[in-house]
Amino acid sequence: MKLLPLFLTTCSLIAMASASPITIPAKVTDLLDNYCYDCHDEDTQKGDLRLDQLGSQTLEARLNLLNKLQEQVFFQEMPPKKKKRQPTENERAAILKWAGSELKKHKASRLEEKLKRSEYGNYIDHQKLFSGEYAKLPAFTHDRRWLISEFIFNDKINKLVNHEGVRTIDGTRQTVIGDNGVNLGTRFGGSSLRQSITNPFLLPAKIGVRYYDNTALTGGHLLTMISNARKIAGHITSETIMKAHYPAMHRIMEMELSQRETLRSRESFLEDHIPALLQDLFKKQHQDLLPTFTRAQIDKIEVLLDKKGQAAKLQDNLELIHGRYDAEDIKAIYRGLNEYSQDGVSYQEVVEKTEKDWFEHGINPKRIQSRVTLMMIISKHWDMDLIRKDVQKRNVTRPAFRPLPEPEMATVKAALKKHRKKGDTYLQVIAKCMADWEQSFLAEREKSDSGNAEALGNLIEELYLKILERKPTATESRDELALTQDYIANLDLQSGIAKLVETLILSSELVYRYEFGQGPADQDGRRMMSARDASYALAFALTDNSPDPELTAAAREGRLETREDYRREVKRMLARRDQFYIIQERVQKDGFNSSLTNTPIRKLRFFREFFGYPAAFNIFKDAPRFGNHANYLDARGRLIDEADMLVDHILQNDTMVFEELLSTEKFYTYHTGNNADMKASADRIKTIYDYFKKYDWENFTEEELYEHWPFINKMKMRGTVFRNFMKDEKRRKGWVRSFKSTMTSFAFRLGKGQKAAAPYNSFPQHYSHKGNASTRTGQQMRGVDVAKFFNVDHTHWDYPVTQPAQVPHRRGILTHPAWLIAHSLNLETDPVRRGKWVREKLLAGTIPDVPITVDAVVPEDHHRTLRMRLEEKTGENYCWKCHERMNPLGIAFEIYDDFGRFRLQERLEHPDNIIAPAPKERGLHIDGRPTYKTLPVNAKGHLRGTGDPALDGDITDALDLAQRLAQSSKVRQSIIRYTFRYFMGRNENLSDSKTLIEAEQAYLKNKGSFDAVIISLLTSDSFIYRKPAPLESHDQ
Amino acid sequence: MINRRHFLKATGLGAGGLALSPSFSHLFGQSTETGHPHRFIFIRKSNGNVPGTFSLPTFSEEEKRKDKEKEAFEADLDKHELPDWLKCLEAHKENMTILQGLSMKMAGGGHYSFSGCMGAYSAGRNVISGIKRRTIDFELAEMFPSPFGHVELSLAAGGGTVGYRTGIVSGFSAPAAHQRNYCYADPQTAYDELFKSVTNSKAVNTQNNLLDYLREKESRQLSKLNGSERGKISSHVESLASIRARNSKVLSLSGVIAKNLPAIDKIHANGGEDATLVEKQGAFTDVMLAALISGLTNLVTYTIDDLNTPIDTLPGNTGKVDLHRLGHSKDIKLRNIVKASHMAQIEKMVTKLKSVPEGNGSMFDNTTIIYMPETGAGHHGPDTEAPTIVMSGQNSKLDIAGRYLRLAPHATEGHKTLGNWYTTLLNAYGNPVAHYGDLDTDMTRKKLAQTGAIKRFLA
Repeated sequence: MKLLPLFLTTCSLIAMASASPITIPAKVTDLLDNYCYDCHDEDTQKGDLRLDQLGSQTLEARLNLLNKLQEQVFFQEMPPKKKKRQPTENERAAILKWAGSELKKHKASRLEEKLKRSEYGNYIDHQKLFSGEYAKLPAFTHDRRWLISEFIFNDKINKLVNHEGVRTIDGTRQTVIGDNGVNLGTRFGGSSLRQSITNPFLLPAKIGVRYYDNTALTGGHLLTMISNARKIAGHITSETIMKAHYPAMHRIMEMELSQRETLRSRESFLEDHIPALLQDLFKKQHQDLLPTFTRAQIDKIEVLLDKKGQAAKLQDNLELIHGRYDAEDIKAIYRGLNEYSQDGVSYQEVVEKTEKDWFEHGINPKRIQSRVTLMMIISKHWDMDLIRKDVQKRNVTRPAFRPLPEPEMATVKAALKKHRKKGDTYLQVIAKCMADWEQSFLAEREKSDSGNAEALGNLIEELYLKILERKPTATESRDELALTQDYIANLDLQSGIAKLVETLILSSELVYRYEFGQGPADQDGRRMMSARDASYALAFALTDNSPDPELTAAAREGRLETREDYRREVKRMLARRDQFYIIQERVQKDGFNSSLTNTPIRKLRFFREFFGYPAAFNIFKDAPRFGNHANYLDARGRLIDEADMLVDHILQNDTMVFEELLSTEKFYTYHTGNNADMKASADRIKTIYDYFKKYDWENFTEEELYEHWPFINKMKMRGTVFRNFMKDEKRRKGWVRSFKSTMTSFAFRLGKGQKAAAPYNSFPQHYSHKGNASTRTGQQMRGVDVAKFFNVDHTHWDYPVTQPAQVPHRRGILTHPAWLIAHSLNLETDPVRRGKWVREKLLAGTIPDVPITVDAVVPEDHHRTLRMRLEEKTGENYCWKCHERMNPLGIAFEIYDDFGRFRLQERLEHPDNIIAPAPKERGLHIDGRPTYKTLPVNAKGHLRGTGDPALDGDITDALDLAQRLAQSSKVRQSIIRYTFRYFMGRNENLSDSKTLIEAEQAYLKNKGSFDAVIISLLTSDSFIYRKPAPLESHDQ
Repeated sequence: MINRRHFLKATGLGAGGLALSPSFSHLFGQSTETGHPHRFIFIRKSNGNVPGTFSLPTFSEEEKRKDKEKEAFEADLDKHELPDWLKCLEAHKENMTILQGLSMKMAGGGHYSFSGCMGAYSAGRNVISGIKRRTIDFELAEMFPSPFGHVELSLAAGGGTVGYRTGIVSGFSAPAAHQRNYCYADPQTAYDELFKSVTNSKAVNTQNNLLDYLREKESRQLSKLNGSERGKISSHVESLASIRARNSKVLSLSGVIAKNLPAIDKIHANGGEDATLVEKQGAFTDVMLAALISGLTNLVTYTIDDLNTPIDTLPGNTGKVDLHRLGHSKDIKLRNIVKASHMAQIEKMVTKLKSVPEGNGSMFDNTTIIYMPETGAGHHGPDTEAPTIVMSGQNSKLDIAGRYLRLAPHATEGHKTLGNWYTTLLNAYGNPVAHYGDLDTDMTRKKLAQTGAIKRFLA
């Protein structure tokens, strides 16, 4: 033990230079001396740290050091485990208490905030949580505002912008929750209002529980919400929406809207009929009053020439006319052609008459010039017969004259007479009339009382109910009334109302969930949440939506006051199967997958986040490494969809859920989840194959094929339409070709005695065609390359129509390719990450952060396997103290490559190691990759940490590992801890011990039911009871 | 900084002697620190840029051969004529770089790259989850803060048919992963939004009243809260106060804004359905320049067209061909007419910025304009090349002005990608990131080094 000079062992160390005083009790000094100074004093500074001169440091440096010390001691990283002399629990607590108090004096402690983060949840002692010794502590959650998640935000926005998702599911049109406009027609973003709303509440892109209560609204959120609020307010205060959904608003705006309707009607009437009206009013004078027609100057249009300078083939693709030019221009041109083309009238005359109409109407001269040019181009470059027929077919004409009601006709005529001057174009006359009417309407409105206080009061209440789902308080009504009146005075009525809408959307209440205790406190100072808060807490626990009508009614009617009330509602919500949720829109988008569940979405989402397999989207893969000509992106989308289906299937069965997830040998591989549909698709293929196999179909002539038209028509064989077969010589050859492609593909699938064929398409088809099989949402089923992930040999694939079905070399989600890809690098596997996941998620373990001095990159060496390189890099003592917790677990997964394919040999992918290039030939049965030199895979590892000597020990590979993990009680408890965090939105404390123990018991007593775990958690004291947040020193 | 061109003039060395040699500017020891923010204008265009149209007509036979075979070399623009479509920038050749040989395969290819070309990743079909990271323009905007931060303008049609958008719509830059920026889709909207502190004080005052009201209302909650709950609300209150302060700052610029307010023709009112393409381009340029000169922003991203932007009103488009059909044709002449219309706008930007004094020189000294293709070297790519024009001022931290630069071809030793180019910009202006953007898979497969800045470009 090193001795400090006597004067330094007293309570205070005298400040030196610029430092401020620090107090180190004598006992703590002794502890530091015993456990720390050997490595961190004037003689030795391991990690560049000295702890023996805290008093002489600047305040900032000292606080940094104390924070490091506090963390290292708390996380038991120090003293290093290899040191024989370790502090007792009390000694550690004493050091922590001292360091904590020093830091709190300056409000500088970082540990508490760190411990609130999900990645530090495991630092609460697992043994203590489940031993029962802390089960008597009163459990609760602090009162809190909990920032909404991206999912809750989406649901709120969908309601506010009246965006409803609808899908056809299993043939029935149904509303769905979770459609946020991603799949709306355009890929150009922003054409729809819904797509233009930016979601600022994105959860962290990490694997694990992502949604915690420790995030606050920031300036970044607010800036985005300001822009969103404006768009939403514009929508809510639009005429159609306020009429349909906001009656109080509509009442205020009714007069103005009615006036606008009148103005629109008049304007539209005039636009359509002003020439006839003026002719009628001004009679012989009319022509003289028109502006003097001047023709537009246009460049000469040359005949279209080909590359050889000869007259080129005329254009005949009408889609180009209607898709590539301004639609209004084309409509105007077609109207002119329709109106003026007659026998004996030349095209030039037609153009001139049409142009005159536009000129007199007042169309912008440049637009006239452009239209006339286009008319000339059409006449020179296009097949005019085709154009004439198209004009006739579309029959664009001036609308038939229907007079307005008589008082309106009188008003219109009076205005025309008043405002028309010589030389005016029709648009100029219309503009003058409109301005006149707008003025007089404005005067009428100013005299009216539509925006009176009572009407505005009703509006405020209406908006509160729609936006904040409650009525305003008296203070709020009063304040917002004054505010709205101010807005209206500065802007106009509609804009003023929109500003009020913006104000409500920007209030913190919209973006926070409120979970506060109310009513009398028990002896531990705990209170239950208010019924309203409880209803939201329960609703958001299981869904992303506000409480459903039953839950709202229960809260309102006093039936959400007791633990039994909570239980009843949770059970009811868990049992619902009448509502479909979209699991992830990106999964839908990437290959038309259905991505649906009809269980409360948050249940499935827990396992998505826990396992993290959707993160496969984020791992960039070089598609040719998957296989040349394979469609990796479609396959990946289907892979993740089928992982979801598997999890959903297990959750629907709700028996031995954790064990099934970790050890099932049955998976979905190219399947929609609907066994009947898949069987029907496979049967259809077999029927077609069986019918034709007795013929020499490979050598069918066109005539021979035609003989089978009734059968082909009955089976609706794609690409083979025979109605006009004998007449349509041009397309016959194509049909014969597609027939033979289809049959070749079917023979490949069934020709070796297979009983069922996977129902993929025989050749690429436009997405609008159903193909051989449809998804549950009626779209073309894609992504057959998903089978490559599972090492399916297509030449011998006896397709299992009933799934999930046995797949060799797989056991549980940890051997699912989606999970494996999510936990890999771009080009290689990642045993460290995989091992870390197992340690932290399944064994309740902890892994320190990577030290900043470490270059955490496995070196390249294309003569050795990844395992060899990894062992060399991480085998040193300094690295191994952390890596021993990860590598032996992660290396077990080396029986799979970074695409999740099972392997016995590891490819040494480097240009120097190529044996043969990738084959050019295409085909599902073809590997499609270059051949590289290989080395045998060694996946032997070691499991430590289950606490069960029957399970801990050497493991042969991931299959062995998965089997053991599935049997472990520690694994079960670890999953329950994560479940707790997910549903509570926070880390567990020792006071939550009883909650966790009871959740485990509920699981065990109900045959491994995950629903039982959820019910237990949501009726626990941890969930039901609240206590005020602790004071911090700056609050006093 | 005395740029390369001046050095060459002074020493009389020719292009051949200095081909691929490092900059000599460090020998002169002049400080490049001006104390003024650096401005960037990114101009994205559709249909790719055909490399051959960027070649110089007066190349020697050897240069022609190298250019055709895509070998790396450099040439001094001062010694050459520019292609016809670039000639309007003749007077500014000393600021020009014609950059050939950068690849952008990681940005996806196909008809569009959407935000991909700005973030060096594949944005897929423009779904939100495909936006992988903050785009380069937002990275640079953060380094040179301004009241509006980042301004995005767009003449992109944003739909499957030819036409213009209007109003404020989704853009093609991204402030963060999974977040799409918004943009001004017509000049009048840009004008109304950017300059409303001067042109619509009622709207501005009302907005400020809204913020003040919210701040006061939220603050009232604070007295009842403690601990982390208090922290959450005070964070909200502070955010409201910051935005309010920013608005005040914009208001304080009213004098400068008013002085530089552009004149905008009434043809652009209500979306400007009758405005021609050239009128829209011109008005957007005017608005952009006014915003830069007033100090409202230091970063503008401008999508000058996408495949459905109407070009039927473009002078010289006698066949009224649309951009998509142009992309499928081999009509180089019309392609050059389209590019020439873009260059006319760039010429206006450069000339105007050179006329505004700043420091010891002009605003243009502290400006870089990057004219780049959305999809590499053609309508559907290939993305192995992405010919780019850079106009950079005297104080640029890049040493590339006045040069025709052809880099090593794709997937060969020394080749540089879009990621390297963006890393160069970031490193040059103070962000020492090791590499920005996704890696190129061909380069990765061949185990070729591809991260980091293009050292040759750094001053």
